[in-house]
Amino acid sequence: MTTPGMPIGAPLPGPGASGGPDQPAVTESAAEVHVATKLEETAGPGEKEVLRVEDLTVSFPTDDGLVRAVRGVSYAVHEREVLGIVGESGSGKSVSSMAVMGLLPKSARIAGKILYRGDDLLTKSAKQQRALRGRKIAMIFQDPMTALNPVYSIGDQLAEAVLSHEIMPRKQAMARAEEMLGIVGIPQPKKRLDNYPHEFSGGMRQRAMIAMAVINNPDVIIADEPTTALDVTVQAQILETLVQVKDEVNAAIVLITHDLGVVAGMAHRVLVMYAGKPVEIAETDRIFYQPRMPYTAGLLGSIPALESGGAGSRLRPIVGTPPSLINLPKGCPFSPRCPLATDVCHESEPALAATDELGHVAACHHWDKLADVDDPTVYFRTESEAV
Amino acid sequence: MLVFIVRRVIVSFFILLAATFVMYLLTANAGNPLGDLQESRAPNREALIEARIRLLNLDTPAPLRYFIWLKGAAGCLVPFAMECDLGQNLQGQDVTALLGVALPQTLQLVIAATVLAMVLGITVGIVTALRQYSSLDYTVTFSAFLFFSLPIFWVAVLLKEYGAIRFNDWLADPSVPIGVAVVLGVISGLFWMIVISGDRTRRLTTFAAAFVASAGALWLLSETRWFEDPGLGIIVIAVTAVGIAFLTTALVAGFTYRNVLYAALASAGIGIVCHFALASVLDDPSGLTIVGLALVTVAVGLGLGYGLGGLQRRQAMQAAVLTGLGTGALLFLDRLLGAWDTYSDQVGGRVIATIGARTPNFDGTFWEQGLDRATHLILPTIAIVLISFATYTRYTRSSMLEVLNQDYVRTARSKGLAERGVIVKHAFRNAMIPITTLMAFDFAGVLSGAVITENVFGWTGLGRLFADSLRAVDPNPVMGFFLIAGTAAVLFNMLADIAYAFLDPRIRLS
Amino acid sequence: MSNPSTPDPGPAPGAAVAADAQGMTVVARTQAQMVRRRFFRHRAAMGGLVVLALIVLLAFSSIGFASVPGWWDKDYWSIATVENGGRPTLSVLPTWLGGSGMHLGEHPFGQDNVGKDYFALTMRGVQQSLTIAFVVGLVGTFIGTLVGATAGYFRGRTEAVLMRFTDVMITIPLLVIAAVLGRRYGSSGIVVLGLVIGLVTWTGLARLVRGEFLSLREKEFVEAARAAGTSARRIIVKHMLPNIVGVIIVAATLAIATAILLEAALSFLGFGVQDPDTSLGKLISNYQTAFSTRPWLFWFPGVFIIAIALSVNFIGDGLRDAFDPRQNRVRD
Ligand SMILES: Nc1ncnc2c1ncn2[C@@H]1O[C@H](COP(=O)(O)OP(=O)(O)OP(=O)(O)O)[C@@H](O)[C@H]1O
Ligand code: SF4
Ligand SMILES: [Mg+2]
Repeated sequence: MTTPGMPIGAPLPGPGASGGPDQPAVTESAAEVHVATKLEETAGPGEKEVLRVEDLTVSFPTDDGLVRAVRGVSYAVHEREVLGIVGESGSGKSVSSMAVMGLLPKSARIAGKILYRGDDLLTKSAKQQRALRGRKIAMIFQDPMTALNPVYSIGDQLAEAVLSHEIMPRKQAMARAEEMLGIVGIPQPKKRLDNYPHEFSGGMRQRAMIAMAVINNPDVIIADEPTTALDVTVQAQILETLVQVKDEVNAAIVLITHDLGVVAGMAHRVLVMYAGKPVEIAETDRIFYQPRMPYTAGLLGSIPALESGGAGSRLRPIVGTPPSLINLPKGCPFSPRCPLATDVCHESEPALAATDELGHVAACHHWDKLADVDDPTVYFRTESEAV
Repeated sequence: MLVFIVRRVIVSFFILLAATFVMYLLTANAGNPLGDLQESRAPNREALIEARIRLLNLDTPAPLRYFIWLKGAAGCLVPFAMECDLGQNLQGQDVTALLGVALPQTLQLVIAATVLAMVLGITVGIVTALRQYSSLDYTVTFSAFLFFSLPIFWVAVLLKEYGAIRFNDWLADPSVPIGVAVVLGVISGLFWMIVISGDRTRRLTTFAAAFVASAGALWLLSETRWFEDPGLGIIVIAVTAVGIAFLTTALVAGFTYRNVLYAALASAGIGIVCHFALASVLDDPSGLTIVGLALVTVAVGLGLGYGLGGLQRRQAMQAAVLTGLGTGALLFLDRLLGAWDTYSDQVGGRVIATIGARTPNFDGTFWEQGLDRATHLILPTIAIVLISFATYTRYTRSSMLEVLNQDYVRTARSKGLAERGVIVKHAFRNAMIPITTLMAFDFAGVLSGAVITENVFGWTGLGRLFADSLRAVDPNPVMGFFLIAGTAAVLFNMLADIAYAFLDPRIRLS
Repeated sequence: MSNPSTPDPGPAPGAAVAADAQGMTVVARTQAQMVRRRFFRHRAAMGGLVVLALIVLLAFSSIGFASVPGWWDKDYWSIATVENGGRPTLSVLPTWLGGSGMHLGEHPFGQDNVGKDYFALTMRGVQQSLTIAFVVGLVGTFIGTLVGATAGYFRGRTEAVLMRFTDVMITIPLLVIAAVLGRRYGSSGIVVLGLVIGLVTWTGLARLVRGEFLSLREKEFVEAARAAGTSARRIIVKHMLPNIVGVIIVAATLAIATAILLEAALSFLGFGVQDPDTSLGKLISNYQTAFSTRPWLFWFPGVFIIAIALSVNFIGDGLRDAFDPRQNRVRD
C-alpha cells in the first residue's frame, strides 16, 4: 500500500462486537417506537454513522400494476460495521441497495431518505450522486460471470474505476489496479492485468470485482449476494477476502444475502426483510439464538448447521411463496405462511417495535410467543418419520 | 488466429466455387439463348445460330460447360501469370472488359451511400435506444418500418420528380415565399421538438426557437438570393468547426478535464487558418492533393493531441483528428458549393441530375467535376440510404437495448463512470459486435442492391449489366456479375467473422 | 435479408408460469395466453392486422377470385374508352367540406391508357402480389425449418452437408437468384413463381432454426424423450418444434414482408409476373413514366404495396415482442 491518500491503520474492532452492554436503556413500551430512533440506539458509542436509510420506499409502475418492491426500509451503518440484510428472493434487498447506489431505472418511484454522512443523496443532482458512486459508496454484484465487461481487460476496468473520479496518467491508475489485485489475493497481479474476464475463474472474477469496489477507498461497500453464484469452497475464501479488504480500507459493509449462514460469521447486526419490509433488526447473535419474528425463525430452519440441535425431528423450509407485491394481502404479509398466525395477524399489519432486548426490533404481533420457547425454530419442525 | 483465418479462407473459397456452379446451372436454364435468333428472319439465320452455339459452347451440356467457364475464370486468380477469361457476351465483347467499365461506377454509387446509411442508422439507433419510449423513439420506429416497407424504385420515381425535375425548375427562380418558409419552419420546429424532448416548456421553447431559426434563415437566404450561388462562408464554417470541436470532445472525453477541448479547438482553428493559407492551392487541386491534405490533417491532429492532451493524451488525439477532418470536410463542401454558379450555367440550370453518373462530355475544374459527380450521386444515395438506414436503426436499437440490460453496464455505472463513458465505452463497444455482422452482410449485398438502383437511375454499372444481360439471356456477363457479387459476399462474410473475433476477446483466443 | 433481430425462444409453452422467478405474480398463465395477451396489446401490430385484413377483404371481394364473382362490376382486362383523361373518380371529401361527396364513381382509381378500370387492375395486382408473397413465405419457412431442424437434431455429417449447402445458397444474393429463376419461371404463373422463389429464401431461417435446435437438443426433456426411445421425427415435431414456434412464426411473417417487396422488385425489373397477368410491382413499373402526367397510375399500386408491407412488418414486430418480451425492456 504505497498510494497516498489511502489511510491504513490497524483494524479496529468491529462496533457490534462490543456494542451490546454499553448501550443506554430504552423503555420497552411495546407499541410503535420510531424506527429511526430505535436504530440510532443500536449503534455502538463513538462510532460514526456513514450511511442511513430512512423509510425508503421504491415502487415500479408496470403493465400489471404498481410493484411495491420496497416499503419503508430504514437502517443505519456505522464506520467499519458489517450490516447483514437477509431475506428471500424478491424481498427487495437488491432494489433497496440499488436505490442507495442511485442505479434504479428511471421508471422507479423512490421516496424516503438516503443519508450519506448526513447528506440526502436523493436530493442531490445526478452529477453529485455520480461523484459519490464508486468513490464513497461502492457495490459488488451477485454474478461475477456477467458483471465484468467481456471486451475489456481486467486492468482496464479497474483503472477505469480510478479514472472515473480522478484524472491521472493511465499508468498510475494501472499501478493502483495492480496493487489492488494483489490485495484481494490474485497471484501475479501484474500479468493478470492484461487478462480478459473470460480468462479468470468465477472466484477470481469476484475478487477482481472486490478490488474494483475498494480501489477508491470507499466508506461503504454494498455487497449484493457476493457469493451466491460461486461454489461452496470458493464462497468462504471470498467472504474472507471481503473482510480482510474492508479492514484494509476501513469501510463499512452492507452484506446482502438470502443465506443466514453467510451472515453468521461476518455481520455485526442483521436486518431481515420480507415482502419489501424490514421485519426484524438485531445483533447477529440475537437473530440466531433469539429471533422474535417467525419468518426469521423459519429462515433459521433452512440452515443445515443448526439442524443438529433438534434430534429426532426434521426442519422444513417455510411453506408457500412470498405474496405478490402488487396485491399485498391485508394484515401481516407473512400471515399466509406463518404457523403462529392468529386473527389479528390477518387484520392488521404489525409495525417494527421493540422486543425483549435493547436494540432488537421486530414486526410481529406475537413475538413474545417466540420468547417463551427455548428453540424458536420449533414452530417449523415436523416430527420425523425416521428414528 | 492465423490458423483460424487460413481455414476460413479455404472454406470460403470452396463455398464460392460451389455457388458459381449452382448459379451457372440456373443461368444456363434461365432462358433460351438462341431464342432471338430462332425468331429472326435474317437470311443467314442458320449461320448466326451456328456462330452463337460456338461462341457459348452451347453444344456442350451445361454442367460440363461450367468447367470450360471455370477454366477461364481460374485465370483471374493469378492476375499476371494467367489470362482472366470470363467469356464473351452475345455481341462478342469480353466480359472482363465490360466488368472493368461497370465496376467503378457501381462502387462509386454504393460505397458512399452504404457508409452514410451505416453511420446515420447506427447513430439514430443508439439515440433511440437511449430514449426508449420517447416520442423520438416512436417516430423513428415508425419511420424505420415505413422505410423498409418502401419499394426502392417507387421512392426513386418520386425522388426524380420532386428532388430533381421540380427542384431544378424552382432553381430557375429560387425564392421561398413567406408561406412556404412558415410551413418549413413548423416542420423544422416539430422535428427538433421531437429530437430534444423533455417537459412541456422545454418542448415549446425548442419548437419556437427552431421555428424562428429555420423560417428566418430560409427567408434571409431567399432575400439575399443565396440559392443562386450557395456557399457556407467563413463565419458559418468557423462556428460549425467550433461546434464540431465541442461535440467530439463531448463524445470522447467530456469536459471535466479541459485539455482535450483545447486540442480539438486548436485543430479547428488551424483548419480555418489553412482555409486562407491554402487558398491558391485549393483553386483547382488534384484528387491527390486532397488526399494529401487529409493525411496532413490527421498528422497535425495527432500532434496537437499529443502536445496538448496532458493526462488525457489518447482522447485528445482522437478529438483533434476528428475535429480536423470535420473542419476539412466543411471546407471541402464550401469549395464545392463555390463551383455551383459556373456549373449551373454549364448544365443549363438542370443542376440535380436524374440519369447516369456524369454529365456526358463534361469538363471543368476539380470542383466543378466534383459537383457534377455529387449532383448525380445525390438522388440514388438518398434512395439507398433511406432504405438501408432503416435496418441499421432497428438493429442498432435492439442491440443497444440488449447490451444496456447487461450486468456489466450496471457495473460500469456503479463505479461512478460518467454516462458518456458507460454508453460509448461499455454499451456501444459491445453492441457493435453483432452490428459488424450486419455491416458485412450489407456490404456483401450491396452489389445486388445496385441492380435496382442502377436500373432506375440509368447508371451503367454492374447491376445494369446483370439485368440487361439476364433479359437478353446472355449467360457470361451474368456469371461475371455473380462472380464479383459472390466474391464480395464471401469475402465480407469472412471479414465479418474475423472482425467478430477481433472485437470479442472471448473468440479471439479460441 | 437478415432480420433486424433474432428472437430467442421463450420458456416451454404450456408450462404454467406460476409465480415468476421473482415472486412478483402468482397468477398462473400459460405461455400461449401470455403471448396472445402481449400481441393484442401491441397497438402497431393490431393496426397492421386490421389494415391487412381490410386489404385482403377488399381485394378478394371486389373483383372476386377464381370463378367467384365480386361486387365490383368491372374487370381488369376489358378495354374501354378513356373518359376524362382516365382520371380517378374516387371522392372522399364530403360536400360540406367543399368536396364532391363520398362516392366511388365510374372508375375510382381512374383508367389506364387503354381504358382498363384501374381499380380492378390494382385489386388484381394486390391478389397476385399477396398470393406470391404468401406462397414464398410458406415454402421458404417450411424448407428453412426442415433443413435447420434436421441439421440441428442429427448433427454430424447430415448437419455438415446441409449447412454447407446453406452457406452456398446464402452466397448468392437473394435478388440475383430470384431474378434468374424469375426469368425462367415468370411466365409460368404466379404460384410457380412463388414456389421457385420460396425454394431460395429459406437460408436465413435454416441457420436460425439450427441454432435453436443445437441448444434445445441438450435440454433434459429431449434427452429424456430420446432415452425413452421416441422416434427422431416425433421428438422433433412434438417436443422441439413447439419450443421454437415463436422464432418460426416471426421469421415467416417477416419473410412474407420481404417477399412482397421482392416480387415488386422482380416485376419491376421484368423478371417477375409476365403479361397478360399483373401484380403491384408490374403496375408501378409499367406506369412509372406516366408519373408526371397521370400520377394516379403510379400512386395507387404504390400505396397498396407499402400498406401491405408495412402491416406485415408491424405484425411481425408485434409477434416478436409477444414471443420475446425481454428484448425490448431496459432494466437500468
Ligand atoms: N425494474 C423493475 N420493474 C418492476 N419490478 C421490479 C423491477 N426491479 C425489481 N422489481 C421487483 O422488485 C422485487 C424485489 O426485487 P429484488 O431484486 O430487490 O429482490 P431481492 O431481494 O434482491 O431478491 P434476490 O434474492 O432474488 O436477489 C421483485 O419482485 C422484482 O420483481
Ligand atoms: S404478525 Fe402474526 S402472521 Fe405475522 S409473523 Fe407475527 S405471528 Fe406471524
Ligand atoms: Mg437481489
